[in-house]
Amino acid sequence: MSTRRVVLVVGSGRSGTSTMAGTLKTLGLHVPQPEVAADATNPRGFGEPRWMVDLHDELLKRSNVQVSDARPRAWLDAGAISGDHATRERVTAWLEDQLTGHDELVLKDPRAAWFLGLWRACAERCGATTSYVTMLRPPTEVVASKQTNYGRMGAGSDRGTVTRTAAWVNMMLHTERATRGHQRRFVRYADLLEDWTRPVFALGEAFDLAAVKTAMAVDIAEVHRFIDPSLRRSSMSWDEIGAPPRLRDLAEETWQALDGLADDGGDSAAAHARCDELRVAYDDQYAEAEAFAHSSVLAARREAAARARDEAGPQGATGRDVADRVPHAVRAMVPPAARRGLRKALGRERGEA
Amino acid sequence: MVDIASLEGLPEYDVTWPWSAGDTLAPGLTCVFRVRNEARNLPWVLPPILAAVQHVVFVDNGSDDGTPDVARRVAQEAGAADRLTVLHYPHRVARAGGEHLATPATSVHSLTHFYNWCFSHVRTTYSMKWDGDMVLTPEGAGILRDLAWQLEATRAVVAMPRHPLTVVDESTGWLDLSLRFLEPWVYPMGPDTTFVKAFDWELREQPPGIERVVLQQGLVVEVKWLDADEYAHWRTDGVDFTNTRLYRKLREFEVDEAIRSGRADQLGGLVKVTAPPGVHVIDHVSRDWLWRQPRPLVTHSLPSSLRERVRA
Repeated sequence: MSTRRVVLVVGSGRSGTSTMAGTLKTLGLHVPQPEVAADATNPRGFGEPRWMVDLHDELLKRSNVQVSDARPRAWLDAGAISGDHATRERVTAWLEDQLTGHDELVLKDPRAAWFLGLWRACAERCGATTSYVTMLRPPTEVVASKQTNYGRMGAGSDRGTVTRTAAWVNMMLHTERATRGHQRRFVRYADLLEDWTRPVFALGEAFDLAAVKTAMAVDIAEVHRFIDPSLRRSSMSWDEIGAPPRLRDLAEETWQALDGLADDGGDSAAAHARCDELRVAYDDQYAEAEAFAHSSVLAARREAAARARDEAGPQGATGRDVADRVPHAVRAMVPPAARRGLRKALGRERGEA
Repeated sequence: MVDIASLEGLPEYDVTWPWSAGDTLAPGLTCVFRVRNEARNLPWVLPPILAAVQHVVFVDNGSDDGTPDVARRVAQEAGAADRLTVLHYPHRVARAGGEHLATPATSVHSLTHFYNWCFSHVRTTYSMKWDGDMVLTPEGAGILRDLAWQLEATRAVVAMPRHPLTVVDESTGWLDLSLRFLEPWVYPMGPDTTFVKAFDWELREQPPGIERVVLQQGLVVEVKWLDADEYAHWRTDGVDFTNTRLYRKLREFEVDEAIRSGRADQLGGLVKVTAPPGVHVIDHVSRDWLWRQPRPLVTHSLPSSLRERVRA
């Protein structure tokens, strides 16, 4: 049996995914290089391979999906390009390259959730077993951390917290669905910060990770230095978030259901059925909100079309546009013969009738 | 409340749709098989399907080769016995073509009624017909498995190309890459996606303007066994089809004849595949060969020889 392992760290951004990836890296799993550089929002590094982030940016752009997208149908749009043959060949070649010399990889990028099928299929082509660790953090903390680190989403009265809450529900429920039936574990961010040895030891056993199972004392000491319990400092109340009661209730119920998945024996058929109910409820709620705000969608579409016309400039304008911009009185001053010539030049000749 | 009473007055074979029965549809995809004597193929066909969908409705139509038992055994071995429902439809179903045309749509002998009855047992939001000779590749199973939940937020029909594989012996086969056999397989369940009668066979209705998702090539092979000689009756009885979609059937016949007479490499569009020792050619093609081939696998939708014939 192959000893190749690909561990994907998934879950919402700001849920400890970087801490988990960094921990596994410190214990000896390989993070493909180069990595995205650390910054003020993640001073200890993201643990994200640059190549992977660039690929996901490209695929998200092609499928018109945002990193943090609240639309349930975004999963179909992103999934539709996951089966693309050329993309699979690229990812397989890159993975094969990474796995040569490193049997155990840890891959983390918040965008990866949209393309888990792609990574699983390509890992399989390379003879590697894929497993998933989903990081769990209450939505009130995730939204607060995003508000602090990524800024407000809108001017004036900020409803970005509502959008972020919806995107969290969408991301987490569908990530649960996408990884169901595969080798996976759920880890609470709080548990990782409180005593990382327990959840990480369990991962090593469940995923059969040699690096974790044979970790040296020096590496373990290094993880203790890497994990900073004071990291978990953001929180908001539901009142501060200001989500509509139905969304707040759904987010809270989603959190309860997901939180249970981290318990021993919690990843059960009953829990899956509960997640199915919540996903259907979210789809319904989103469809209703979309219908409610449909006028805004149409207005944005008109605005974008107008902007595209403006950007196209005079070169992009048709003959009709040019002619229509000339006042009627001026057009009337053009002699009939010259007018016929101009019409011909603009491709707008009149019929004889 | 019965939606379609069978013409013969057999209550057990009336059609009652779940929405009329007051049953709710759970999220997910159910695969519906209607089979007769497919025992030989099932060890290849069923496991990837069971890996991809939430439930399988398996309707046996008069097999005498132990098909239902093999289905149960394969599902058991896959740890999916609880996700397989085996049903029996004991009525002789009209053959596609003229016989179908002459049979009233609500008769238990009609393909239309047969399909409606089979699909009325589905209890998920999406359903998919599948044939007892279609083998999904592991990557195809992965894509369908994801679609089963990705489709939840919309109503769409999913079309999937398939590639006929004629098995000559355990290690050799001919794959037909000359035609794009692109048909819709996955539909949302609802009163607007039930079956109606068409000229040659049944037709699944779809709401106008419904979104259509087209899957990649190289995910499904349709297995034909040369030793089964399934086109033998064509040579003696002639072909019982009106000319709708005739070209596809003609191509299958042409391929079968060419392989039998040793002219397969002259026909065009056929690729010979030889499996490594100890590996069955179906496993080799579906697991290891297809994904390695350059794309597009199939470049044209109709070979010129057939184009001429259809026009004539």
